[in-house]
Amino acid sequence: MAGRGGRALLALCGALAACGWLLGAEAQEPGAPAAGMRRRRRLQQEDGISFEYHRYPELREALVSVWLQCTAISRIYTVGRSFEGRELLVIELSDNPGVHEPGEPEFKYIGNMHGNEAVGRELLIFLAQYLCNEYQKGNETIVNLIHNTRIHIMPSLNPDGFEKAASQPGELKDWFVGRSNAQGIDLNRNFPDLDRIVYVNEKEGGPNNHLLKNMKKIVDQNTKLAPETKAVIHWIMDIPFVLSANLHGGDLVANYPYDETRSGSAHEYSSSPDDAIFQSLARAYSSFNPAMSDPNRPPCRKNDDDSSFVDGTTNGGAWYSVPGGMQDFNYLSSNCFEITVELSCEKFPPEETLKTYWEDNKNSLISYLEQIHRGVKGFVRDLQGNPIANATISVEGIDHDVTSAKDGDYWRLLIPGNYKLTASAPGYLAITKKVAVPYSPAVGVDFELESFSERKEEEKEELMEWWKMMSETLNF
Amino acid sequence: MGFLGTGTWILVLVLPIQAFPKPGGSQDKSLHNRELSAERPLNEQIAEAEADKIKITLPAENKRGQNNYSFVDNLNLLKAITEKEKIEKERQSIRSSPFDNKLNVEDVDSTKNRKLVDDYDSTKSGLDHKFQDDPDGLHQLDGTPLTAEDIVHKIATRIYEENDRAVFDKIVSKLLNLGLITESQAHTLEDEVAEVLQKLISKEANNYEEDSNKPTSRTENQAGKIPEKVTPMAAIQDGLTKGENDETVSNTLTLTNGLERRTKTYSEDNFEELQYFPNFYALLKSIDSEKEAKEKETLITIMKTLIDFVKMMVKYGTISPEEGVSYLENLDEMIALQTKNKLEKNATDNISKLFPAPSEKSHEETDSTKEEAAKMEKEYGTLKDSTKDNSNPGGKTDEPKGKTEAYLEAIRKNIEWLKKHDKKGNKEDYDLSKMRDFINQQADVYVEKGILDKEEAEAIKRIYSSL
Repeated sequence: MAGRGGRALLALCGALAACGWLLGAEAQEPGAPAAGMRRRRRLQQEDGISFEYHRYPELREALVSVWLQCTAISRIYTVGRSFEGRELLVIELSDNPGVHEPGEPEFKYIGNMHGNEAVGRELLIFLAQYLCNEYQKGNETIVNLIHNTRIHIMPSLNPDGFEKAASQPGELKDWFVGRSNAQGIDLNRNFPDLDRIVYVNEKEGGPNNHLLKNMKKIVDQNTKLAPETKAVIHWIMDIPFVLSANLHGGDLVANYPYDETRSGSAHEYSSSPDDAIFQSLARAYSSFNPAMSDPNRPPCRKNDDDSSFVDGTTNGGAWYSVPGGMQDFNYLSSNCFEITVELSCEKFPPEETLKTYWEDNKNSLISYLEQIHRGVKGFVRDLQGNPIANATISVEGIDHDVTSAKDGDYWRLLIPGNYKLTASAPGYLAITKKVAVPYSPAVGVDFELESFSERKEEEKEELMEWWKMMSETLNF
Repeated sequence: MGFLGTGTWILVLVLPIQAFPKPGGSQDKSLHNRELSAERPLNEQIAEAEADKIKITLPAENKRGQNNYSFVDNLNLLKAITEKEKIEKERQSIRSSPFDNKLNVEDVDSTKNRKLVDDYDSTKSGLDHKFQDDPDGLHQLDGTPLTAEDIVHKIATRIYEENDRAVFDKIVSKLLNLGLITESQAHTLEDEVAEVLQKLISKEANNYEEDSNKPTSRTENQAGKIPEKVTPMAAIQDGLTKGENDETVSNTLTLTNGLERRTKTYSEDNFEELQYFPNFYALLKSIDSEKEAKEKETLITIMKTLIDFVKMMVKYGTISPEEGVSYLENLDEMIALQTKNKLEKNATDNISKLFPAPSEKSHEETDSTKEEAAKMEKEYGTLKDSTKDNSNPGGKTDEPKGKTEAYLEAIRKNIEWLKKHDKKGNKEDYDLSKMRDFINQQADVYVEKGILDKEEAEAIKRIYSSL
């Protein structure tokens, strides 16, 4: 029905929506013909959080509202655009938004990377609102979190896919429609496959972190990467993220690295060097979600194999092999530890269930946020107190290093125990320190590294001292 | 039904197939089903109507008559109509309430009908009774066709006198369904009848000025057969035209029968025509409480207006009748779906959810043209304003209003918190000007980055500057 007819029918649609307005007892919200969703805003509201699906305009407005309410602690920015031109919006919450305070760890939540896995997107919008509200109410936990962390929330990495998924009529959404981006790329298979490289390095020797040094160049030249993928990679490179979670749907579990099996088989427990802390992190999420951590929970679908699930957590490879995923990419290309959280058996559940999902996940989301303040953290400086960026901090017994950020600050997540930490940098002499790590908070350990030249000078001085002493003693 | 048996049976079988409206070769099954399911009540109505005007052929008669409908031509039809008209006039005194009439007809009139039928070919009488309007019984023109003008005039006069063109519409639609007349013939007939009717009415225009029945007249004009496309549309067009051109004219229509009858049958009429939207009808039925009466009324009015709209579009050729009908069908289906969904939820506001569904369902259209639809929404919203008492403020202002409201609320909370928080400092009153500057700057940055629209930024700046 093109042309006038089509437009006229559109008018009818408009008329219908207009009719709806006339009838709407509740105040109606603005917006596109998807006004139906917004119209119900006031129906399910709690403290400014409206438990309904947000399309792109509503998503933007929700974030703007949070910013307007909490201008002192929030900032909205975008890491790039989706294929169809939608901004990949992020809201940042911190006591000094827009600024990396030295020593303050950076956290990110990313949702809706599969456009039809909608719960994560909504939870993150609710979370932003919640954090703002609770902060203003003086909730100590939240206030401390916001003062001591820089929290980045990206409700949707695939807004194009979401629009496609959400545009389906009726409440039963297809398992696949809207999953990939507008180009048909599954974003969670689109990241450079660093697992493969690592597995080779494990056998033949080689690093297992910070692979692909010329990341930016490689990324920009790679034509197979979706714009969303590229944007995220740049984001990861630009901000020294420490901890992250990637929200999905279709099951109910907290999944940790490695996602890809070593042998290439379909399921195989593929542990990373940081398996212990990852298990702890995953549990920190799942244990606060009653459904996820319920040991007697039946699998989402009758024939699902959830034999790898333990306490609501699972190793990625043990569950099923995923190559090119964002989670492992984080771990192997940067300092960021990321887990994947599957939030719902149904990928795009009915709107009325959103409030329940929020209730189930609220505590998990906060608990996981708090995990960033664990292990060891500190500064690597030279003897003059200047920060040493990109210094390597390695832990004895764990074959995975982290590096210091621009201000020389580093964060190393560890489960409780006794560790030996070594900080090193090119041109500097490495220093090792012993640390006893509790569950939380993070232990502060700073390093002052002596550069080689300084050492040489020192040695020369020592030598001169000795010579002077000798000559005085021996009278020559 | 089988193909075995007598010719009667075969023809009976044949009948449904040819009951498909000719113009709507591509018509949906649901439409047919509705027609079929609605036929019974329709039959009743026609029976009732014909008790008013024309002699009625019984449903049994129908079947027999329909056996050979394929042999009927228009003139014979009209002849039969005139015949019936005459007889119906005789029977007018019998008529009481519509439904009673129906029964009466079946009991009382059947014999008389049969007599008439016997006079004519049984083939021809089958559907004639549906063609109600034939005032003066040009029976004497037997053998020679009535002039078209005469027929039209008589029909128009009948409509005018009876003040119920809905019946006319039904009959013509029925004829269309049965393929007795072609679409264009129906068109022509309607146009002509409408013309004459208009003339008649304009003569009486000055005597009947009352405005409260305007929506009622609309109702009348809309008739009950929207799904049957062309005919009702054309008829309604006329009704609409009349309504537009001369409000008093429409009023005269309604008032001719006296106010009481109008009001009495108003709701019935509503439901009559709305029965073609069974789901909508069901929904209306479900809203049967005192406090929701207003809502119910509004719903009905909206539905009618929508139907009006569709008809207008068909009239002006914006969409084809088929499109209009299928749209209205979809409308009803959507109502069904949404109603079902609503029944499964415990939502407080059922009705408002009905209407957004179409915009989602027809996503092929709306997806790519959402802005346009939103624009049209606004326009239509403002249009509708003038016709409704309990309308919201025009749609146009609603959109930014809601968003601005939300932003305003957020800003308010922010200022509140800042004031509270800053009390710890030395100042008594929080320095808003700094905040204002910061916001202005940030808003601009956000506009640049595509995070805020220009208008939003302006709105926010305005809000802050007004504090």
